[in-house]
Amino acid sequence: MGAPKSPASSAVRWSFGIATLLAVGGVATAQSGAGDGQDGRTQARPVFALDHHMLRTVCLDLLGRPPLPEERAEWLDKDLRDFLKQTTSGLEFWEHWLEEQLYFFLLIDNFRPENEGVKAVPEKLFEGRLNPREAVHRIVLSPSFELRNPGADTFVTVVMEQLAGMRVQKRIRDLEIGKALYDGKPGTFLKHHGDSQADVVKICVESKDFAREFISREYERMLHRAGPKKPLSSWSRSFHKDPAEYRDLVRTWMTSEEYMRRLEEQHPLSNRAFVNALHVDLLGRMPTRAEAEPMREALDGLGDSAPLRSILARLLLDSGRVRVPSKGELSSRRDWAASLFPRFFGREASVTELDAICEALDEPSCQPSTILYALLSHPEYHRF
Amino acid sequence: MTLRSNRRDVLKLGAAAGALTGLGGWGLAQDGRGRTQSTPAMEGDEAPTVKRVIFIAMAGGVRTRETFGTPANVPNLQMMADDGVLYPRMRTSNLGHFGATMSIFTGISEARGIRDNARGTDPTMFEYLRKDLGLRQSDVWVTTSGGPQQTNYSYSVHPDYGPKYGANTLDGDGIFNKEFKELLDTYGRPKAMEESEQDLLDKVRRGIGRTEDKAENAAATENAAKVERYILEELTRGTSTLRGANSGDAKALRVARNLVSLFKPKMTGVVLQNADIAHGSFNGYSEVIRRNDEAIGEIWTAVKEDPELADSTAIFVLPEFGRNKDLNSRRGLDHGDGSDDLRYVSGVAWGPGFGKGRVVKDDVRTIDAMYSACDALGASPELAKGQKLKRLLA
Ligand SMILES: [Zn+2]
Repeated sequence: MGAPKSPASSAVRWSFGIATLLAVGGVATAQSGAGDGQDGRTQARPVFALDHHMLRTVCLDLLGRPPLPEERAEWLDKDLRDFLKQTTSGLEFWEHWLEEQLYFFLLIDNFRPENEGVKAVPEKLFEGRLNPREAVHRIVLSPSFELRNPGADTFVTVVMEQLAGMRVQKRIRDLEIGKALYDGKPGTFLKHHGDSQADVVKICVESKDFAREFISREYERMLHRAGPKKPLSSWSRSFHKDPAEYRDLVRTWMTSEEYMRRLEEQHPLSNRAFVNALHVDLLGRMPTRAEAEPMREALDGLGDSAPLRSILARLLLDSGRVRVPSKGELSSRRDWAASLFPRFFGREASVTELDAICEALDEPSCQPSTILYALLSHPEYHRF
Repeated sequence: MTLRSNRRDVLKLGAAAGALTGLGGWGLAQDGRGRTQSTPAMEGDEAPTVKRVIFIAMAGGVRTRETFGTPANVPNLQMMADDGVLYPRMRTSNLGHFGATMSIFTGISEARGIRDNARGTDPTMFEYLRKDLGLRQSDVWVTTSGGPQQTNYSYSVHPDYGPKYGANTLDGDGIFNKEFKELLDTYGRPKAMEESEQDLLDKVRRGIGRTEDKAENAAATENAAKVERYILEELTRGTSTLRGANSGDAKALRVARNLVSLFKPKMTGVVLQNADIAHGSFNGYSEVIRRNDEAIGEIWTAVKEDPELADSTAIFVLPEFGRNKDLNSRRGLDHGDGSDDLRYVSGVAWGPGFGKGRVVKDDVRTIDAMYSACDALGASPELAKGQKLKRLLA
């Protein structure tokens, strides 16, 4: 949630040798390190080789969470394309997809759909028994959507706006016809005949406008920028024809030149991703819904959630659930500090950063948890 | 020097000139912090000045028929009107709850999607106040009731304003709810940090990351510490246990009342939403109005009983739009028929130097209220399209 930071204002801190990656087929030469720790050594790695930064960013963009410890162990230096293939074929990809759709429709908190039809969406998408268009259709037909958008005016307006990307103030006549359909009167709505509330939804969700709106929204969600016009219309056309192609589109986007540019930027971490990140980075697992939702809801309740994010980080650190080593257990403070940066920030630490941490740890009152808290409440942790 | 600061300087000069020459019925006065404001030119007596504003967007769609048309529903608002100024003909724009409420804060009627969940492009009243008056974030608060969408009211993406002039925004129900409180109880409250550890923490943070982050860190620290402390304290005060049809609104109003008493902010905005239950239940809607009136009454009492606030606080209350003329098939009230019940609402303004017991029958607009609120505090919402509320001042 919140204002997306404009790419122009984001710092470009790391170079990934992207031009090289894009230009060379087969095996490319890429820098092994990042930040101040670079020493110019090179080693043979696959094209789109996953480093800490890329792995963290791709995971957050695709799954709404950072990589799990086992994923870091498995995928570092491997090919992004293989990772994408595996990830987008999994159930978790669709579980996260559903969460994002529900959030877009603001079907959250008390309005979260609890009907079986919606709950079964990820499983059915995973098994290929549903496509994303049919899944959105299900969501919009859920009783929660009706509750969230009560009355003809609100319901038809939201369906036209959110499904078909229309500004109703410029489509007053269509709105009025849609409202008549909603009330059970027959009419021609957006060139199609209908006579019910369900028809309003069906006509919108099956329209080309939906395909265009959905594809551009999804592109923007994952790449943090508006899609390029021409490709966008061709993607929309192919999605309209065969919505099951959605996953292939996602893979194409995530290996595009545009995505490589996105990797050079920093974008704000949403509250829901922050909650997941906190659990994954500290506990090595995703939060349960019961753990995540009250945190997310509370964070969403603040225009600037930074103060509450700090409270939550401290809460988790002080809870006794996180395994924080004591000072005495650290055989090398510097190595321990260095291990935190790839894990929390997706990059190596600089020499000065490690100096600052080691110097702080020399103070008797500084505990390893102080360092963890400093990193988790640092602005860099809240971007990706 | 920017155009804006030039303009402010001109205003200041105007103030000095006004004071010197005692021109006309209205002069401009300064309060010693460089602010200028319109005040009645009074001989001898010190002009009453507005130092703080509480601005309540009674959003969710509320018709005049159920407010000042049924005084039994709103005894407190009625008393406030009897001691202030009532505007029974405030024109609204039916832009959906989100767009219409946003326009109350920006002073510009602009279409937005009902479920848009993004910052607006026009600066809000809160940004004007912070920028023009040099207020800290902790001086400007907004409490809301409608979940994540409403936190977008705290600031816009306007290049000359934006997040650095944003208000602290708290959604009462989002934070002070049973589930979150239980979660905190399960995990255990965070331990208080010792001063030496806090210093170390700041030192480590300063040693990490880019230069810009260091500035961001420093600026955010003071406000963040205040907000952190406030949230943890509020969680022990019982706001989380408020129940009923208006529980979201009740929490927004309770949080506002506590903020007003504790921090005495220059601006406390409140955004309500629960009246929208009207789509499905007229009775529920009337109940929400009655309960919200009671909670607004509590804020008003808190103001009147606090010597620091009593003579220097202004209150504005207005809905974002009304509702349809006729009940729907569920015996509820939707919004979208274009009737006068939808397009005109009643708003009230109360404060030092404002009229007393005055009913302004002329048409005004909901977007005018923010203009008057800014004006009362000495800020000028340069991009807003509204104007000062007619006949507001005594
Ligand atoms: Zn409504």
